[in-house]
Amino acid sequence: MDSLGHLLQGFAAALSWYYLAYALAGCVLGTLIGVLPGLGPAAGTAILIPLTFNLDATGAIIMLSAIYYGAMYGGTITSVLINVPGEAASVVTCIDGHAMARQGRAGSALGIAAIGSFVGGVLATVALVVVAMPLATLALKFGPAEFFALMVAGLCLVVGLAGKNIVAALLMTVIGLLFAMIGLDPVRGAPRFTFGVEELYDGIGFVPVVMGLFGVAELLLAAEKRQARMIEAELKNWMPTRQEMRDCVGPIGRGTVVGFVLGLIPGVGAIVPTFMAYVIEKRVSKTPERFGKGAIEGVASAETANNAYANAAMVPLLALGIPSSPTIAVLMGAFIINGITPGPFLFQEQPALVWTVIASFFVGNALLLILNLPLVGLWAKLLKIPFSYMCTGVLIFCVVGAYGLKQSLFDVWVMLGFGIIGYLLRKLDFPIAPAILALILGPMMEKSLRTTLEISGGSFAIFLDRPVALALLTIPVIVIAFLLFKPRSLDKLRESDVD
Amino acid sequence: MLIRRRTLLAASAATAIASPAMAQNYPRRAVQLIVAFPAGGSTDVGARILAGLAEKDFGQPITVVNKGGAGGQIGFTEIARARPDGYTLGFLNLPGMNTITLDPERKAVFTIDSFIPIVNQVLDPGFIWVKGDSPYKTLAELTDAAKKNPGKISACTTGILSDDHLAILMVQEATGAEFRIVHFDGGAQQLTGVLGGHVDVAFDNVGSVFKRVGTEIRGLAVTDVVRSKFLPQVPCTKELGLITVISSSTRGVGAPKGTPADICKAVETAFLKAINSTEMKEKMDAVGLALKPMVGAEYAKYYADLQAQAKKYTEWALKMR
Repeated sequence: MDSLGHLLQGFAAALSWYYLAYALAGCVLGTLIGVLPGLGPAAGTAILIPLTFNLDATGAIIMLSAIYYGAMYGGTITSVLINVPGEAASVVTCIDGHAMARQGRAGSALGIAAIGSFVGGVLATVALVVVAMPLATLALKFGPAEFFALMVAGLCLVVGLAGKNIVAALLMTVIGLLFAMIGLDPVRGAPRFTFGVEELYDGIGFVPVVMGLFGVAELLLAAEKRQARMIEAELKNWMPTRQEMRDCVGPIGRGTVVGFVLGLIPGVGAIVPTFMAYVIEKRVSKTPERFGKGAIEGVASAETANNAYANAAMVPLLALGIPSSPTIAVLMGAFIINGITPGPFLFQEQPALVWTVIASFFVGNALLLILNLPLVGLWAKLLKIPFSYMCTGVLIFCVVGAYGLKQSLFDVWVMLGFGIIGYLLRKLDFPIAPAILALILGPMMEKSLRTTLEISGGSFAIFLDRPVALALLTIPVIVIAFLLFKPRSLDKLRESDVD
Repeated sequence: MLIRRRTLLAASAATAIASPAMAQNYPRRAVQLIVAFPAGGSTDVGARILAGLAEKDFGQPITVVNKGGAGGQIGFTEIARARPDGYTLGFLNLPGMNTITLDPERKAVFTIDSFIPIVNQVLDPGFIWVKGDSPYKTLAELTDAAKKNPGKISACTTGILSDDHLAILMVQEATGAEFRIVHFDGGAQQLTGVLGGHVDVAFDNVGSVFKRVGTEIRGLAVTDVVRSKFLPQVPCTKELGLITVISSSTRGVGAPKGTPADICKAVETAFLKAINSTEMKEKMDAVGLALKPMVGAEYAKYYADLQAQAKKYTEWALKMR
């Protein structure tokens, strides 16, 4: 059967009441997470994994993916109304979105963001349908050597794209890799850095660490800030005007392409595509001076790219089994908890599951459009809940969630410990994402390197013999060369475009 | 009078030995069945089928708890440390459990005597396979080539000191072949590795790949004394003359040391009935897992024999490291 046939069967399942309910629940919870400042998609998805324990694998994954892209949508509302990004990828949306809100055009900004997100999400999923299965077949050519090279390239991109903070990002990557070393040696089986603590034999739990670094740390940060004032906007007119719609056709199209292409590359992260889409719009615009002062194209491009990215990032996960961002890494954890290994054989061995999940991406995007357009006023009301209540509630949820994963009190301490570490790192302006990505990619990288060397009999020349691995390894070299010779002009470009 | 007193005495003596108070009341609440591997793996699949069927007779729910990680070490430690009251049982994976205790670097806190083997469920024989278009048509062709070019042909396992690793050592010992051993992390990686042409031969188990045997995969041998009913076309190592190459992944239910004998007996009765049921057979056939019910002395002997076999090859593997 071809992709289309599978997809139609997937739709039949995804549209059943049972799965539709999970998609809806995921979309609502995801939007909620996105709206609440401080809780991003990575922490939100991690916290909510225990909710899915009693579902079947398909239902669990449908719900968790819906939470993921729901959070990507929801972040916009907070960005526009209180100028605080609900999640990191909405930073760019703040620029013009909040300016529009101050001009009394909050409705248009939120409307175009929802439409752009929908178009970006749906088109990226169409592209996923086309690309994923052929890529999975190709993935057999991907041996341990190629996997290792791809992951090195991914980590280098994380560091290289960190902007001004390159040294800090490098440091955080190395720290993440060091934490990844904890546990049993993947080849010999001897415990490393476990200090006799049995709980550490399996390595440090990824989900509690994410909950701590992203969730608890963000709550601590938000708690000490004064609550930002919300713009009381008339949200009845959420439909953008005809002229605004016409202006946004180009930005939405270009945003989709940028978001999708960058979503395929591990390590890029969600911020870069939004930023890039925004800069492109500013460059092609006949009136670039409007950007930053409430240009609807700025909101449209960033939000479209954001959601196209979110859906495209599922491609490397489903086809290769490689998580390209912290949130996707959490999703991969959810796959594994449910007994499903993402990777080249997923399409062969679990066609019903994988195509139902993909069909649910379409369903979810449509649900989110409905949830976000007419109901946007309801979400905005959430921002009026006093932070002290919300913060306590979320923290309790984090503790219960961390315990629930493995019924382990040790994981709760790990989460709280990393919450404090994350808080300090954020205070010191250290980026968290590289550490998280290094933590999840670290064990996979080490294992694939050592397997490669077992295959080659210990010779590193195998990386030169294999063209794909070699090509992938040139990416880090280019990144490093670029960083050494051109950092000034890059910084200047960023500052001039965003400020 | 005398007779009556004697009966009374005998009865009270029986009470002291078997403490029927406990057995009569067991099980009074839900029983945990620890699986030392993640959900969805072969052990987990078998365990969940068993728990579902056994709890009908058992009268109390049997909850499968996955404590995966570190090649089973985390879960085995948990079983060994559990209170021996019959409310924590666990799956004993042989020979994975044996090799962990035999490798001093693993620093395991348990030995094989930390567990009481109660009833065996599955014996999944080892299975040696190559890619469908591989030049090796038989096991003999493969081992001859590996003898002529020592260390040139790569063979992969599903993990260090797994049953597959021991099987490679057995083949090397019996035929004089020498493989380049590559350790993967589980069956999915093995499949990618061999089908993608990165590794020449896989040492695996029947249950994980039997459905793919045909054009995609060519089976060379099943490491058992008889052919597998799931792969009747593939020869077993005994008929190929390799009588020392007998390897499998064997899984049964056990309890922590100190669990009262009558409780173990109650578990044995309920679980054995489930294992022998037709429903169990149908469900296990669908996933390619061969049942091998063993209890009492038979299981105890198997348990001890396997430790001896594992010891020999583990020591050899450690020397090579």
